[in-house]
Amino acid sequence: MIQIKDLLEVLPLLIIAFSAIFILLLEVSIKKSETVIFGFSLIAILAAIATSFNYFNKEMIIFNQFLRISNASLTFSVIILISMLITVIASKSYIEKENVNFGEYYSMLLFALMGMMLMIFANDILIIFIGLELMSVCFYVLAGFLRLRQKSNESALKYFLLGAFMTGFILYGIALIYGITGTTNLTLIFSDAKVLTNYVFIIGTALLIIGFMFKIGVFPFHMWIPDVYDGAPTVVSGMLSTAGKIAAVGTILPIILAVNILNFKIIFSVAAVATMLYGNVIALAQTNIKRLLAYSSIASAGYIFVGVASMNEFALRGIAYYLIAYTFMQLGAFIIVAMLEKKDDGSRDYKNVDLDFYKGLGKRNPVIATFMTFFLFSLAGIPPFAGFWGKYYLFFAAIKSNQIWLAVVAILLSLIGVYYYLKIIVYMWFSESLEPVSEEKFSFSDTGFAATVLAVIGTILFGVDPNLFFSLFKFVTP
Amino acid sequence: MLESYIPIIIILIISVLFAVVNVNLSSLLGPSRPNKEKLSTYESGIEPVGTAHERFSVKFYMVAVLFILFDIEVVFLYPWAVSFIGLDQLKMMYSFISVSVFIIILLVGYIYVIRKGALNWD
Repeated sequence: MIQIKDLLEVLPLLIIAFSAIFILLLEVSIKKSETVIFGFSLIAILAAIATSFNYFNKEMIIFNQFLRISNASLTFSVIILISMLITVIASKSYIEKENVNFGEYYSMLLFALMGMMLMIFANDILIIFIGLELMSVCFYVLAGFLRLRQKSNESALKYFLLGAFMTGFILYGIALIYGITGTTNLTLIFSDAKVLTNYVFIIGTALLIIGFMFKIGVFPFHMWIPDVYDGAPTVVSGMLSTAGKIAAVGTILPIILAVNILNFKIIFSVAAVATMLYGNVIALAQTNIKRLLAYSSIASAGYIFVGVASMNEFALRGIAYYLIAYTFMQLGAFIIVAMLEKKDDGSRDYKNVDLDFYKGLGKRNPVIATFMTFFLFSLAGIPPFAGFWGKYYLFFAAIKSNQIWLAVVAILLSLIGVYYYLKIIVYMWFSESLEPVSEEKFSFSDTGFAATVLAVIGTILFGVDPNLFFSLFKFVTP
Repeated sequence: MLESYIPIIIILIISVLFAVVNVNLSSLLGPSRPNKEKLSTYESGIEPVGTAHERFSVKFYMVAVLFILFDIEVVFLYPWAVSFIGLDQLKMMYSFISVSVFIIILLVGYIYVIRKGALNWD
């Protein structure tokens, strides 16, 4: 039976759940409620972040062994909360600009957030499934939130069809695992070493991992990413590529580490190399910045899988560090794209998302161009930005697990990435502007600007002082 | 162990063969003399009006979705209500609170639906 004190142990989860429901009531009871709801969801997320820090170093299994609070899961959930915080701040001006300023948007974000946190804290495969579905359904809706825009609808439908198909994979994997072990509890499943070599169990786990590889966007399950990120509202694309991926990584990582079968290690290495190669090479040919960032997010999934493939005590540290760096830089880049996007004029497609638009941005809008440069440098992995340390700790984990070839290949492939990130920087600062200067209208009261400043602070802070991250999230340095 | 599947496979083959052969035999051997009356839609004796392939208003869809949502709520309440009386005091309280939370969550959804005007036909 669930005890009342269990409820206190999941306070962050409860805060998010209640505020998501409460927002629906606010939406229908107050006129012009959008600003109130915006403030309310900000406070809810901040409160969830603040309460999360109470639970560090208190490993516990609660709610009839359904939930497991550990340092790793708390770290991932805090990173997701930070990502959502920046998304919510940036969303306000964006949905006003796109004429979809509804309170439901924030409710959807918070429901998705709740699903993601539930998934990460889960100690039972069925809870993982519920969290995953809660997250995915909200994501489908959010991807199609610009309901009058054809691109957005297309993106939502593609995401829904492929996502639903992959949910089938996950469910089949769960069924096989349950069939072999007779339980859905993760602690019990992995307590029996004999079962880990059972073929049916391995197939079940593989299906489960494939489903999550789809959510992370690892080759060969990456095909949806460019289309979905291209068509979804730009801020939502940023959120999908950060929070959505972090949730999937945070959920599947403990399972992968617990299974730890040698054959999987090789498969993960190959998948990581293929993902990095594909993402980086295809990104070279992109002319649309949203697609370019989408392919760069595929490449990032490859870097994350370098860490997954190393499967040692350094892996978690590297992945967590890369993910927080990735949150700030990728989300920041997407938010800048969102801010520069043209106001909704009833057209089917997004305007001002071509790379040509970024030519001469440094002269037209030096502040924004500087911030974009920071994010792109960080994505390219150039110190002193957070992306550098993220890649450093990931490749370090690969070297420590005697996969030096993997680290070398990853570094070489990330060099390809440097080319297309630098291309945008060169466009911004050293090319002649194709746009008339007078057309630029941009105010610093834009909430997107506040979100970008937050992301810049994060990118630089975690780049200058990597120990900050480890002390913040109570990592024991190995 | 696998031998025990043989009878199942045999049954599967026989049932598939039986169905396929019978359906095709009747269309092969039976006489086919259609006329206008025979080909018209069977509407229990009433003259059919137009085709069934019409476009329905999306409002029907909305009502259907909401019906399923709140119908599921009732489906969950029945087994709870039946087993409620046999519980001891503490568990009674516990299950009552649990179900109340469940109903309150759906109630919020209901208020949302009403206030958004999803149940207004016009």
